[in-house]
Amino acid sequence: MAASVSFQGVGKRFRRGAVHESLRDLLALAARRITGRKSRTSRQTFWALRNLDFEVAPGEALGIIGPNGAGKSTALKLLARILRPDEGSIQVKGRLAALIEVNAGMHGDLTGLENIFLTGAIMGMNRAEIKSKLDAIIEFSGIEKFIDTPVKRYSTGMQARLGFSTAAHVSPDVLLVDEVLSVGDVAFRHRCEERMREMVDAGVALIFVTHNLEQMRSICHRTLVLDGGEPTFVGSPTDAVGHYLKATMNRIGELSYVDNPRSEHTDGEVLGMTFLAADGSEVECVCPTEPLTMRMSFMLKRDVQRLTVETAIRRDGGEMMVSLNSRHQGITFQAKAGRHDVSIDLPSFPLGGGNYFAIVRLWDADRSELLAETPYKFMLQVDDRGKGTGLLSLPHEWSALKTVEPVVQAVRTAHPTEVIADTGVAAHDVNKGLVQPSP
Amino acid sequence: MSTLSAKNPFSELFSYRQLLVSLVWRDLRVRYKQSLLGMAWAVLLPMSMMLIFTFVFTRAVKVADGLDISMPYPLFAYTGLVPWTFFSASLIGSVNSLVANRNLVTKVYFPREVFPLSSIGSAFADFCIAGSVLVGLVAYFHFTTSWTFELTPAIAFVPVIVAVQIIFAAGLGMLLSMANLFYRDVRQLLGVGMQLWMFLTCVVYPIHNDGSWWGVIAMCNPMTPIIKGYRQCLLEGTLPSGGAFLAACATALAVFALGWWSFRKMSYKFAECI
Repeated sequence: MAASVSFQGVGKRFRRGAVHESLRDLLALAARRITGRKSRTSRQTFWALRNLDFEVAPGEALGIIGPNGAGKSTALKLLARILRPDEGSIQVKGRLAALIEVNAGMHGDLTGLENIFLTGAIMGMNRAEIKSKLDAIIEFSGIEKFIDTPVKRYSTGMQARLGFSTAAHVSPDVLLVDEVLSVGDVAFRHRCEERMREMVDAGVALIFVTHNLEQMRSICHRTLVLDGGEPTFVGSPTDAVGHYLKATMNRIGELSYVDNPRSEHTDGEVLGMTFLAADGSEVECVCPTEPLTMRMSFMLKRDVQRLTVETAIRRDGGEMMVSLNSRHQGITFQAKAGRHDVSIDLPSFPLGGGNYFAIVRLWDADRSELLAETPYKFMLQVDDRGKGTGLLSLPHEWSALKTVEPVVQAVRTAHPTEVIADTGVAAHDVNKGLVQPSP
Repeated sequence: MSTLSAKNPFSELFSYRQLLVSLVWRDLRVRYKQSLLGMAWAVLLPMSMMLIFTFVFTRAVKVADGLDISMPYPLFAYTGLVPWTFFSASLIGSVNSLVANRNLVTKVYFPREVFPLSSIGSAFADFCIAGSVLVGLVAYFHFTTSWTFELTPAIAFVPVIVAVQIIFAAGLGMLLSMANLFYRDVRQLLGVGMQLWMFLTCVVYPIHNDGSWWGVIAMCNPMTPIIKGYRQCLLEGTLPSGGAFLAACATALAVFALGWWSFRKMSYKFAECI
């Protein structure tokens, strides 16, 4: 199938420093040119984005991640035709809707309803189309009660909901989403994710830029990592997150060793941490059900009577998953100056699929002194074979099926609404809570 | 496969006509929300200007009788001030339209011409409202003074004059909004410029080409035959006098062509420079 979006060798260059904004500056510049003096404002340029090649097929969701200033938003703006590339070519097939700041066109003095028409027109819908989708938009936004209130009285979250609801009903062929979902509450974010999945399933090509790695992984099929304006990785979302975080953690590591004054005069140094499979081979990726050994190597510059060792593991999104401290097991080590290894044996590693980052800390328990500490830089990937079990991969067993009471076939012929009526008061009350009275 | 190369500019702009309507409607809604008099302001502004100039020319300096005009001075002033207000509101609205819609320019794509054109659109709405009051003014002077109004077929030519004025304003508006994007001084200069331009145009007094440098400048100004044209068609029952009006049409078209061409050529830079 032909790609919906294709980037070929795309590059975008920006000028460093301020562009003269008033005529006075221009005159000054002209005067300097005439007198031959060098301008103080240098005309240097830099590439915000370079060598970007990718394609997105209809019905595919591509995630773009990367640190701040990596060129993510520039890529989206190029795609949305707000910027023009300085090299390469971009092709887009069909109608494009960009959820880049959905509130850009809103006006605070207009009511929610008026803003739906305005935002819809800005996004390329005609009046008849907006009218036909109006009920769906209002319902999706969940702000029926305030639809005739000027938007300036809305909360930030409500404004974002109104904007997203309108944009989500544009029915595009290509959808760009840039961080708009970070506002809005959990329920609305969930609804937006659902809507995005629905659109992708219906054949929309989605390009999703975000810092929320968990959300990205749950929506996207493929992920592109940008760093310093260049693509550094394309592949499965989990691998891409691993690649991105590894690069980021290394960078944090370099920084913290320079900045952290504690590391200067400590008496220990962590040399490394390796992950070993049951057969003793070194691994970077494990299966949650298999045994795992975590081996830490470190150096002590003096004898320590009661050494405690700690490791902590975070998931890629940043959640602290577990901390293993030898002292919690009542274990301390007596260690002389020199190089040492210590291992933790785990019968299994019951965490969900994803990337995990570990640290090592060494303590002198007698003096409560931190001897050495690393950043979260030791990476271990857990492969759950795409099962997506969540944060954990709990060992568990299912029982055999037992039929408690067989259902008599004849009951199923009744009309569904009658069944609800027949179930009596309880079901009726539940309905009351759920169904909004129609105006 | 549609590419990012420029499409036919006319059809692209046409496909965004509903957005243009929506933006004009937004401007009007926002302008008259939270205001007691609302749309009446569209009439009150040129009306009060007319009263001021009537006072100045008939009471303060008493030159109205020597002005060589074929109609009561208030009518003369109003038929000049209403189109002039439209023209100056078009330009003053356009000049700031890109910068004021910075959010949209940097976040959403659509033809950027929509911004200056929507400013002209909302000024046009005010123009229509203010223009309709002319009927009442004409009736008042017809029945209370020796001046009489005659309905002539020339009145059918008014839409042509309006169209020429809009084309001229659109061309200038695009040039100015673009210039203001790069140099914000343009907006400040325009305020002074419009004052000067008004007195170089036959808005509140007639201008005759008497061969002096002043007369030549005033006659080369395309707004002079345009404003004069409104009075001729509406109140004097004659078509605009040939040469000057045709020259104004040609100038308007040339300015529009230059404005639109350069606007399209530069528009990809707007999001970076704003």
